Amino acid sequence: MVSTEQNAEQSRKRGAFKVTQEGVVTAIAVVLFIVFSVVLDRFLTQGNILALLKNVAILGMLAVGMGFVVVGRGIDLTMVAVMVVGVAFAIWMSTQGFGFGEAIAIGAVLVALCGLVTGVLIAVAEVPPIFATLAMASVVYGGGRVAFTSDVLYAPAGIEWLTYIGSGNLFGIPVSVLIFALVAALIALFLKFTRFGRFVYATGDNPAAARTSGLPSRPVVITQYVISALIAYGAGILLTGLVSGINTRLYNSTLIYDVLLVVVLGGISLSGGQGGVRNVLVGTVLVGILINGMTIMNFSYTSQNLIKSVILLAALAFDAVINPRDEQTSQSGDI
Amino acid sequence: MMFKKVAVAALIATTVLTVPAAAKEIEQVGRATYLEALKGKRVIFIPLSQGMDLNQAWTAVWERHAARYGFDFQVRDPNMDTAAGIRALQGAIGDKPDVLIVQNPDVQTYARALKQAQQAGIKILQINMQSITQTDSYVGNDWIEMGRLEAGELAKTCLAEGAPSKKIVWLAGVQTGAANIYMREGLDQILAENPELELVSDQPADYDSEKARQITETVLQQHPDLCGIMGIWDNAEVGAGAAVVAAGKQDQVTIVTNGAGAMTACDSIEKGMLDVVYNFNAPIQAEIAAQQISEFLQHPERPAGSEKTVFFGPITRVDANNATGRNCWTIDQLK
Repeated sequence: MVSTEQNAEQSRKRGAFKVTQEGVVTAIAVVLFIVFSVVLDRFLTQGNILALLKNVAILGMLAVGMGFVVVGRGIDLTMVAVMVVGVAFAIWMSTQGFGFGEAIAIGAVLVALCGLVTGVLIAVAEVPPIFATLAMASVVYGGGRVAFTSDVLYAPAGIEWLTYIGSGNLFGIPVSVLIFALVAALIALFLKFTRFGRFVYATGDNPAAARTSGLPSRPVVITQYVISALIAYGAGILLTGLVSGINTRLYNSTLIYDVLLVVVLGGISLSGGQGGVRNVLVGTVLVGILINGMTIMNFSYTSQNLIKSVILLAALAFDAVINPRDEQTSQSGDI
Repeated sequence: MMFKKVAVAALIATTVLTVPAAAKEIEQVGRATYLEALKGKRVIFIPLSQGMDLNQAWTAVWERHAARYGFDFQVRDPNMDTAAGIRALQGAIGDKPDVLIVQNPDVQTYARALKQAQQAGIKILQINMQSITQTDSYVGNDWIEMGRLEAGELAKTCLAEGAPSKKIVWLAGVQTGAANIYMREGLDQILAENPELELVSDQPADYDSEKARQITETVLQQHPDLCGIMGIWDNAEVGAGAAVVAAGKQDQVTIVTNGAGAMTACDSIEKGMLDVVYNFNAPIQAEIAAQQISEFLQHPERPAGSEKTVFFGPITRVDANNATGRNCWTIDQLK
């Protein structure tokens, strides 16, 4: 706890005369926003801004879950696998005679179990998070691949609430955006105002010190992975609402790296203990503006990926300069 | 008495003499040779991924042929991983099957390996997705014609009296895929024939419904008077459909795509997510390919690569009026 406060103190001091990554990213986002508003027709319309937010709702939600884990000096590469397989499992259950609501609940239990296994591997077996989650992602996706013959599973027709979260509006704002905002707010409050939230920061900042001083670091780590799995599942349900089905092939896409991009871009250091939901939001908005602008300008997919990757690389380099690794922060198992 | 004996003897004699003759008459001409030619032969299929509806249809049909006529049929699924695909291909060359069926991820990747397989004396059938290396046979879509059909459909709709505009969108899959390259050529031909038609966006959706939804949502903001969208796979274009439905423009925007003709496409048409699906009827493609396979197996004396044949399968235009019956198959019907 002491070190967290010291860190906060340090960053506050630094902020006074040195630019933070969050600040840089916010500035880039603002500049891009202004440039696109001037250069691109119909960029600055209510409809386009809402479309922009709706298009990053899934990414943003996954990034909130990822950020929550990264703050605790972890990384969760299982998120996309858990998302697609969890929802595909629920849809499959609904074709086996279960009601869709029941199927969703059973899926949630399965997903929580996946998170639990990942958490135990990391907290108890002490497998470094990057390897544990990389392997678990393969296991989860592989299991799904064996169980479901098709990549694309369609949700049963006529589920009103599913259609509503996908294409509904509340007070003129897409429901999907509101759900994203709600999840982000919950995690932000949780991190900031609960004792558990402070434990997450403490564990992320210095796991050994946290454990020595009597914090329940193992349960904390396990809970983090369960929560991130459930957030991924929530994002999957949202996705199913948006396009009326789930494509398990998403596991093979660059989505998980895009999620990491958002987290790191926003300024959550991979060495843990720093940052929060606000950083994720900043990263999400920047990626949203970028993708929206590039789509309007009709950039090819390859060049879109290239530009995104260059930005990730720059963010990582910047992160390394701002938050240099030292004796205290770099330890074995550190990613 | 004597007469009776003679009569019985004569009867027996005639029976003994005529039975084999009668058996020969019941024998269907060429059946024994056919069974002989197919029995114990080995056919290996290297798909893109078995997760797609078209692949499931093909293998259901080929497995039926293999079980009925006693040849060995194996699927080696690289699950969309091109490196694994190359390894599978190298492995197959080592195994020396009688026939190799390949679905190419793009025009280049397998080109060399296919040449090697051909030199090793293996007859190769390419299914639906071509490589620049031409082998013994290609059975699949006339993709240029497919591009012409879809773009032609949009030209008819969007250049008609009272069309919302002359603006159309091309939602590609992966730009290096053979199908994409050829469909684009077909689209370009139609654009050249109808210079008033305006292509406002050509972004690849990577065969992903959510990506298709995002692009469509952004493009609809830019071009609220959009007239039509053409795509490459019904399972991806449901995302475009979802965006159009969410914008309440299903009466304004015509969505044309193509697909294997699975029931899910008919469901999407019924739900108003898609307007027209050019159905290339994967089960019929598989039957045509099965004819080609049996021809290879019946003529082992013809060396691999000595004859190069191409056959384009049927394409049926399916819309709300005929989205029934054989235009909408399920896997269980094919087994």
